[in-house]
Amino acid sequence: MKLLFINFIRSNSVEIGLSFIVLAGIISLLVGKQHIEKINRSIDETARYQQEHIERHAEYNKDDLGLMLYYIKFSLVNSTPALNALSIGQRDVNPSVKSVTIRTLEAQKYDSDLNNPYNLFIGNIDFSFVLIFLFPLLIISFTYNIISEEKESGIWKIIAVQSKNPLGFVLKSFGVRLLVTIGTLLFLYAITVPILGIAPDTTFLTFFLVSVLYILVWFAICFFVASLQKSSNFNAIILLSIWILLVFVLPAAINNDLQSRYPIPEALETTVKQRRGYHEKWDMDKELTMDKFYAHYPQFKKFTLPEGDFSWLWYYAMQQMGDDETSEQSTALREKLGQRNTAASWIAQFIPTLHLQLSLNDIAKSGLDNQLHFLDETGRFHERLRLYFYPKIFSEAAVASENWDDFKVEVFSDETPINRTRLYTPLLIFIVLFGTLGWFIFKRKVHLL
Amino acid sequence: MIKNKKVHIAKLFWKITFKNKAVYILTFIVGILLAYAVFSGWENFKTQKEIRIKYQEQARQDWLDNPDKHPHRMAHYGHYAFRPKTPLSVFDFGMESFLGSSIFLEAHVQNPTNFSEAEFSTGMLRFGEISIAMILQILLPLLIFFLGFQSIASERENGTLKILMSQGLSRKELLEGKSLGMILVMSTLYFPIIIITVFLWALLQEVNISTDQVYRLLLIVVMYFVYLSVFCIISVIISALSKTSKTALTSSIGVWLLLTILLPRAGQSLGSYLYQSPSKAKFNAQIENDVVKTGDSHNPDDTHYQALKDSILEVYDVDSVTQLPFNYSGLVMKEGEKITAEIHNDHLKRLRGIYARQNSFSRYLAFIDPYMGIKNLSMALTGTDYNSFMDFQDQAEQYRYHLAQSLNDLQIKHVSNSAKSSADPDYALDKKHWGMIEDFKYQPLQIGMALRSELISFLSLLFWVLLLVLTLNRLSKTIKIL
Repeated sequence: MKLLFINFIRSNSVEIGLSFIVLAGIISLLVGKQHIEKINRSIDETARYQQEHIERHAEYNKDDLGLMLYYIKFSLVNSTPALNALSIGQRDVNPSVKSVTIRTLEAQKYDSDLNNPYNLFIGNIDFSFVLIFLFPLLIISFTYNIISEEKESGIWKIIAVQSKNPLGFVLKSFGVRLLVTIGTLLFLYAITVPILGIAPDTTFLTFFLVSVLYILVWFAICFFVASLQKSSNFNAIILLSIWILLVFVLPAAINNDLQSRYPIPEALETTVKQRRGYHEKWDMDKELTMDKFYAHYPQFKKFTLPEGDFSWLWYYAMQQMGDDETSEQSTALREKLGQRNTAASWIAQFIPTLHLQLSLNDIAKSGLDNQLHFLDETGRFHERLRLYFYPKIFSEAAVASENWDDFKVEVFSDETPINRTRLYTPLLIFIVLFGTLGWFIFKRKVHLL
Repeated sequence: MIKNKKVHIAKLFWKITFKNKAVYILTFIVGILLAYAVFSGWENFKTQKEIRIKYQEQARQDWLDNPDKHPHRMAHYGHYAFRPKTPLSVFDFGMESFLGSSIFLEAHVQNPTNFSEAEFSTGMLRFGEISIAMILQILLPLLIFFLGFQSIASERENGTLKILMSQGLSRKELLEGKSLGMILVMSTLYFPIIIITVFLWALLQEVNISTDQVYRLLLIVVMYFVYLSVFCIISVIISALSKTSKTALTSSIGVWLLLTILLPRAGQSLGSYLYQSPSKAKFNAQIENDVVKTGDSHNPDDTHYQALKDSILEVYDVDSVTQLPFNYSGLVMKEGEKITAEIHNDHLKRLRGIYARQNSFSRYLAFIDPYMGIKNLSMALTGTDYNSFMDFQDQAEQYRYHLAQSLNDLQIKHVSNSAKSSADPDYALDKKHWGMIEDFKYQPLQIGMALRSELISFLSLLFWVLLLVLTLNRLSKTIKIL
């Protein structure tokens, strides 16, 4: 075993493979670090500019609270756990800060972040990429020529004669490579702690465990292919084809399918309809709008419409209608997105690469699930602001009566628990499946060994 | 005679390749994938196109349905610009999924382009999408490597290379013959595939195909052929340089991984690492600050507007704005719109400058990595690149500006200075004016513009052809026979 280990580790290609993956791993940690810094900078800047922005408008509109609240934006931050650096997921596409005025929410809820689309398009070299795409290649390069190489060079006969248990030799060869791979992974996780300042807590442990299982899945696949006892070239081509199938073809095909199965016309429908919902009220009898508004918020019935063409009570009631009259479409949109997410997680159970990516995103709070929770919370945040400011605007409270310094950026923290059974089971099934399959084929073909 | 030998080698290589049953299996799999790519691409294109056209029309209808009202109410009513999908996006999805599809166009504000597919996607999107372009760009080169790694290395291993040489074949003929053979094999797979897909695409089109699209398609077919030929020659060169067919295979796979998976990401990461782009909060705040400095119509004490007012009162020789023969607040808004639009465009230009610097790594990477060359060129030709997107944004912004200023002009001309608010029904403007402002219609870039923006990518592919021909030439002097 010790000899096997030394023999393996001294090989030139192994050294190249290992240094390459360590380099890629370190780059990925730097990319993750930059990602977190970018989000934090964005949050800091939002906080600072929100302060300036509110102060300026409190000055300009010091006599008119309704007008001031027409302009000013309040921000909600989607808190970014440190683990996000390891699995950036959709966090580069989706904004981690939402800034809203108290006007119609549907007109601002989906405002996109400022991004270079080319960056999003090419994709990040984050740790999850190294783990999902590159580690399997390392494993394939380590194992594609176990036995076949010995057979091709003629050494195998000697080994078979000298060793009483040729299958044991095969297992030991795999064992050595598994140890080296896990060791490398462990090393990368170890340097993650100081580089990214991640606390080694249970979530971190879960993240690590699921990575180890994923690596075991690939070892099981390689073990299975080795059991067929074909040539090295054949193994290399088959394993690479499996890799392409799992990292390119299947996920991409499923993605195409989900997009066409769950198209979201509701997004454009909501956005067009909310405009009409609000604007047409300008040309309608004010009473109609007010009746609907009072029906939604009976607590504001005490505020009655003042004389004249225009009042803020009427104005915000009209704005409210933009939301109220699109609630059906908005709910349908939310449901559709939920369906997309559920369908994706369900099908991912059968595809380890996909399962790992979605799971890591869930743990790191960077998936669609987290985004949906953040959008939900943005809705609640917006509603809280409305309920707080509506009575003040309607009673024409003075701008100066409000302590504007209190309106800091708020933070939302997604605490959805992780279902560990759902996380580990699909991977365990794959390991057992390919492991035993390989084992039986080896046993049956033991005479060939 | 010399030419015959080369052609003979090529033909022989072609025959041997197609004797291998695995080739048929691999080709069959690629064929199925292509069929899936065409149909899912078409499906997606059709659904999205219908959705966007429907709501573009709906938005216009809503606009026209407005009754008489104050023009400034219409300026806030605004319009939507929904980015139409180009028919060629069926071939290459390009950046489509990461580009927003709708902009709300209203007075005073430059709204973001929202609703990209990516914003509503799970982490799955990061594995990519299956399009015809993806198969041609990534999977076919690998297939070429699988078919080509043995071309010379295995003959060397078997010792047949020695025999060939002793029969009077020159090294140059060997290399060129094998390269030609590889290109022949590739053409046998590529041309039927591409012709069928083009044919299917044309069949599925419900409207006439424009000449612009025909040129684009032709260029796509030619450039992908060039791209795949580059990989054919690379595979022969790797095979010629490798001692055994096993090292040829592993090196080919390594090169493929480097070119299609690692370099593209590394290049873009480096670009965005070196050139920091501002956050949305900072970008907006900078614009707001510049507006405050230049002239802020929200500020009751703004000096710029104070000066404007004084000069106008002087010219018209009146004491207050209510005595002016035109609507003064309309004029103020017109000036405000002009100032904010200029400042915004200025900042946007700078932001795009940063993005262009970030992307320059990916662009010039094409001279090291032909994959980047074809990727950028193909996106430009199918209108799914960042340039086409920016063009859409610019046209939408021009429309927005035009819309806002037209309504300001209507207000200046028709609304009295005694109107207290835009809710005042006495000062509503006749609805006939709404239809006079034409609808937003995006005019796609012409092929010339698309090519100009991707000249580098175009040149990079030609550079690769030249480089490989030179390498083959050099190799024909140094290649080892044993």
